[in-house]
Amino acid sequence: MAGKVIVVTSGKGGVGKTTTVANIGTTLAKKKYNVVLVDGDIGLRNLDVVMGVENRIVYNLVDIIEGKCRKEQAMIRDRKLNNLFIIPSAQTRDKDSVQPEQMKQLCEELAKEFDFVLIDCPAGIEQGFRNAIAGAAAAVVVTTPEVSAIRDADRVIGLLEASLLKEIHLIVNRLNQRMVKKGDMMSTEDIVSLLAVPLLGVVPESEEVVISTNRGVPLVHERGSKAGQAFQLIAARLQGENIPVDMGNNGSFLGRMKRLIWNS
Amino acid sequence: MHSNESIPIQIKANRDGFILVPEAKASFDSIMTYMQQRLEESHDFFHNAEMVLDLREKPLRTDEILALNHLLEEKSQVKLSQVKLADSLDFLLDRPQPRPAPTVRQDAPGNKEPSPLVIRTTCRSGARVVSPSDCVVLGDVNPGAEIIAVGDIVVFGSLRGLAHAGATGNRSARIWAISIAPHQIRIADLVAVPPQGNQPIPKRYEIAEIQGDSIEVITV
Repeated sequence: MAGKVIVVTSGKGGVGKTTTVANIGTTLAKKKYNVVLVDGDIGLRNLDVVMGVENRIVYNLVDIIEGKCRKEQAMIRDRKLNNLFIIPSAQTRDKDSVQPEQMKQLCEELAKEFDFVLIDCPAGIEQGFRNAIAGAAAAVVVTTPEVSAIRDADRVIGLLEASLLKEIHLIVNRLNQRMVKKGDMMSTEDIVSLLAVPLLGVVPESEEVVISTNRGVPLVHERGSKAGQAFQLIAARLQGENIPVDMGNNGSFLGRMKRLIWNS
Repeated sequence: MHSNESIPIQIKANRDGFILVPEAKASFDSIMTYMQQRLEESHDFFHNAEMVLDLREKPLRTDEILALNHLLEEKSQVKLSQVKLADSLDFLLDRPQPRPAPTVRQDAPGNKEPSPLVIRTTCRSGARVVSPSDCVVLGDVNPGAEIIAVGDIVVFGSLRGLAHAGATGNRSARIWAISIAPHQIRIADLVAVPPQGNQPIPKRYEIAEIQGDSIEVITV
């Protein structure tokens, strides 16, 4: 059975696409799925750093597409999980060195061998974005609770719909519960009602993310990390498990009361 | 010249302008080659014309439509005003951006009043809809989307993007929405921004209209 090709995208940069790819991919691999992570950001390579494999790169995505190597040669096996692979992007080339058809073909080939193909999409909506989404069957849109990130996510969802990508999920990253309660940050409900796509999960803001990125070890390897647990739940929902999403509002007594009333 | 059967794309003319009808079996490359040839032969004949692309016989992909649009624009400044996908299904080309506009449906032609443009989807950031008459949106208008109508604008959802009713100067045009919370609204030649602070929550819907010389939003 062919695997599933999922693109992780956002429009705006710096909202956590690469972190999401690394953590979802690692979680799925821990569950014994065969997973390959593809860094689609040609020219601004960084998935390799987050995964801690930067010093093992010999060949890259552009080399595969240009036929300079076989795709197996460019795949780097993860340090901890032997069923997780990373295809790094090229740092010295630009996004025009790849065409959407070539990406599509590569994704089809990868989907034959792997259960999940996760593509880390570059920021923006230009050629790099079109390349990254070309072969995808589903998209995960990452946003943070900021007006600018949400507007870009909205635009990206529009573009995904226009390219007939039907399965679109949403992840709200870096939510600060304290600020939401004070009314200083948009709540998950607000974001979901505006973007109107199914919510895959909410990741709390956390310093651990920065530490894990710098160390090159995805958070989901750490026990007891809130953000890591959130990514594990997201990965579980992505593979089809039916786990209700905690919108992060069950802390308030009134909120719980309201829910009780609504349910009865 | 081509014999009638082998013409990959027919250029028909009617009262309103030109209609381009690609032949069902023609390849996209042959359509492009033929179109380019015709535009070159015709010199300035099609200059600045508006054309309708009829895809009921031969469906084209979005990128193909955009390529054809680009060719027409570059060679003769021809504007594709409309793309017919099926009998009751048209979509208005999203002019400034290379992305298809939301699918819209127009009612049967023949009415004297131009029928309203109905958009059956949420208008997301980056979408731009221009209606020659009224415009009805069955969904939200999100921040970053623009709805421009010569007549009224009705939004069965939240209006958070930009809306311009009475775009050609009709000061009696109005904007209706379940909730009006845009960055800016325009009616005819007036522009209004919502006041800062909490707004009353509408009971049923809200209307924006010109009263005196300024735009007022009334909660109904």
